[in-house]
Amino acid sequence: MNGNTVQIKNLIKKFENQTAIDNLTLNIEKGKITGLIGADASGKTTLIRLITGLLLPDSGEISVLGLNPSTQKKELSSKIGYMPQKFGLYEDLTVIENLKLYAKLKNAPDNFDKMLEFTNLSKFQNRLAGALSGGMKQKLGLACTLLGNSDFLILDEPSVGVDPISRRELMKMVKELITPETTVLWSTAYLDEAHSFDTAIVLDKGRCIFNSNPHSLAETSHEFEEKIIELMGGYKKEESQIAKNYEVITTDITCTVEADNLEKKYGNFYAVKNNSFCINRGEIFGLLGPNGAGKSTSFKMMCGLAKPTKGTARIMGIDILKNPAKARSNLGYMAQKFSLYGMLTVRQNLEFFAAVYGIGIRNRKNRIDEIIDIFKFKEIENQKSEELPLGFKQRLSLACALIHNPPILFLDEPTSGVDVIARREFWNHIISLAKKGVTVLVTTHFMDEAEYCDRISLFYNGETIAIGTPEELKQKSDSKSMEEAFIKIIKESEQK
Amino acid sequence: MKILAALIKKEFLQIIRDPSSIIIAFVLPLISILIYMYGINLDSVSVRIGIKNDDANPEIETLLKSFGHSKYIKSIVYDNENDIEEGIIRSKLKGAVMIPNDFSKKLEREKTAEIIVITDGSETNTANYVQNYSIQIINNWLSTSKYKTLSQKPIVTSDLRVWYNEDLDSHYFILPGSIAVTMTLIGIMLTALVIAREWERGTMEALLSTPVKKIDIILGKYIPYFILGMLSMAFNVFMCCGVFQIPFRGNYLILFFVSSLFLFTSLGIGLIISTKMKNQFLASQVALGIGFLPSLLLSGLMFPINSMPVIFQYLTKVIPAGYFITFIESEFMAGTVWEVVIINSIFLGLLGSLLFIIVYKQTEMRLPE
Repeated sequence: MNGNTVQIKNLIKKFENQTAIDNLTLNIEKGKITGLIGADASGKTTLIRLITGLLLPDSGEISVLGLNPSTQKKELSSKIGYMPQKFGLYEDLTVIENLKLYAKLKNAPDNFDKMLEFTNLSKFQNRLAGALSGGMKQKLGLACTLLGNSDFLILDEPSVGVDPISRRELMKMVKELITPETTVLWSTAYLDEAHSFDTAIVLDKGRCIFNSNPHSLAETSHEFEEKIIELMGGYKKEESQIAKNYEVITTDITCTVEADNLEKKYGNFYAVKNNSFCINRGEIFGLLGPNGAGKSTSFKMMCGLAKPTKGTARIMGIDILKNPAKARSNLGYMAQKFSLYGMLTVRQNLEFFAAVYGIGIRNRKNRIDEIIDIFKFKEIENQKSEELPLGFKQRLSLACALIHNPPILFLDEPTSGVDVIARREFWNHIISLAKKGVTVLVTTHFMDEAEYCDRISLFYNGETIAIGTPEELKQKSDSKSMEEAFIKIIKESEQK
Repeated sequence: MKILAALIKKEFLQIIRDPSSIIIAFVLPLISILIYMYGINLDSVSVRIGIKNDDANPEIETLLKSFGHSKYIKSIVYDNENDIEEGIIRSKLKGAVMIPNDFSKKLEREKTAEIIVITDGSETNTANYVQNYSIQIINNWLSTSKYKTLSQKPIVTSDLRVWYNEDLDSHYFILPGSIAVTMTLIGIMLTALVIAREWERGTMEALLSTPVKKIDIILGKYIPYFILGMLSMAFNVFMCCGVFQIPFRGNYLILFFVSSLFLFTSLGIGLIISTKMKNQFLASQVALGIGFLPSLLLSGLMFPINSMPVIFQYLTKVIPAGYFITFIESEFMAGTVWEVVIINSIFLGLLGSLLFIIVYKQTEMRLPE
């Protein structure tokens, strides 16, 4: 056997109406960490499933560790560790029960002390996996995958929706728990992550457009991102049609969104503690913090979906507790998960939300036609929304949130799992909307996106630990990047 | 073996933590037994009827007394015809018997005497009861009263004996039958959901990428739910025989043996649904439609099979619950009848094995396209 763990030649895989993998030829080197990047629907997950033998190719050759995944899946399975996108944890089993189960399935020794220590899960070993925070679930999923010392680790977007600190920990876990002979294939949407690997593979429409050392392309991760965008066909910044056609309600209220001493207590535990801030008209305000810091709870209280134990929030000066319906009518809300109706078409979803937000029947059709035009939905207006690629889904979510011309937008991790070009486009719209006077409250785990914010509130253990412009926060913590500032400020607050 | 043991353990942990499986296995049977015991009654015990007597002859009083002594009919004497009509309209009475004023006179003149029996035709079953019981009471009275010479001496007397269920108590066969319904629920509903759940939550993808064998995955589902089903079966039998004193004339070993064969077929149906439907909602709908409802409606438990249209009678032949209900009713009421045991066991065993083979063939070790 030569130095390649995976050898792929002329691989083709088609689904009903589209080609997922298009005559792909590539090798993955043994003992290296290889990053797999690409736009949504570029074929990353399909490629991974073909490599693991979970899907059969239409034609072409794959050899993994010298075995053929189509015919020797069983032999192959005992040599690889695979973490699917949903991590494959049994949510109604405890941490230790999940580990024990996967150890038995993989014929691995029953000793988890080191693993538990390493993941900081020792304290939680009797907690149900379903009750863990997002970051901890990911760690547990990775721990289960690492059991049995596989020759080849395959991780499908293990860091999606994870904060920078947890991401570093995941990376550390993999790097320290593998042997130098282990090959790792790591699919990711974070280009800085991919930049730090030995090799990066870029997929585009089922074809490989780059397969080499990422440092050969660019020295810094920022330049790497620009180069990757170029490789994927480039992104040309255009004037945002969404913002251009947006009618913003004029108001003389300066504090359009206000949190007044918000507090949420579950038993003896404070999920959110005396949270106060004021967002000015036309400002982009970022809420940043590790998983489980209380961002989502704050968010839900701000838009009246959860009742605070103390304090209140005001939207355009209207108290959300006293007059929730009126306050909410000023809001456009985009939830963390895709929360549109999957079985309805694009147009039907828009019609539904137009009706719910109280747009009169007479204006409704005009408004929807306008939205379809501005968002360029003409070609997909009769497609079921669940069949759309992630980037389109996310644009549709934004369209539904904007359909009633709200002066305020709440975006809860709007770009989670979306590829780099779609993210660029998305932020172009958001920034342009803010310039026209729309107030934006946003949460994100992408630190480069945090740079787009006018002001940031850093949230940790239910409390605001820092607030200021990105520049101020970087200066204060003496950091070069937002990611560094994030980690430093949180570590500092931990020490106190 | 180690892998199988780990999978079975996992499944049991999930059963314990998921209240819905415990509800289906123990709470639901309890509720259904209570409903069948106290709610549903296929026998007409003490139907209320009205009696109006216009005949002043004291001898007729004994006829009224006969009505009063009946175990099946509760009679209330009325003076006014309108009150009786009102009672029937308001469903307080299920019928009425009216004795005209010349009743005894006609009898004494050895003429045919009329008596009016009114029944409520909107409830056919009850109407039949009222009619039959009333005629029976009147004939009995006639043969013991002073007019007994008038009643023709019957050439043939029929001596009625009810076998197996002497008191004609429908609970004696409905309660054992409900065991079959519960076992169908566990076998089909519960198992139909469990594989679909693994697809939905993404654990199947992780499972398939480990060196686990197909037979391990299948037995890892069959065995835990088989044990749960048998526990539920034991609980049901205890409720029927221990708590509600339903007579059991058969052999417990045979009862549990045939029940385990039946459970084997139900699990097979449930798992076939499960391998095809990769979403829990769909799986539960299909399980209800092709698994549970036919065993409730077409098994002969609720509606007698020979009164169904012919095509449905053929259909009942392929429903495992039908065979099991035949067996369980006979085992409870008549005791072990080897012919019934052997025929039904063979059928259930064959069907169960066939279903197992289908489950094995259909279980895919790769992701659907």
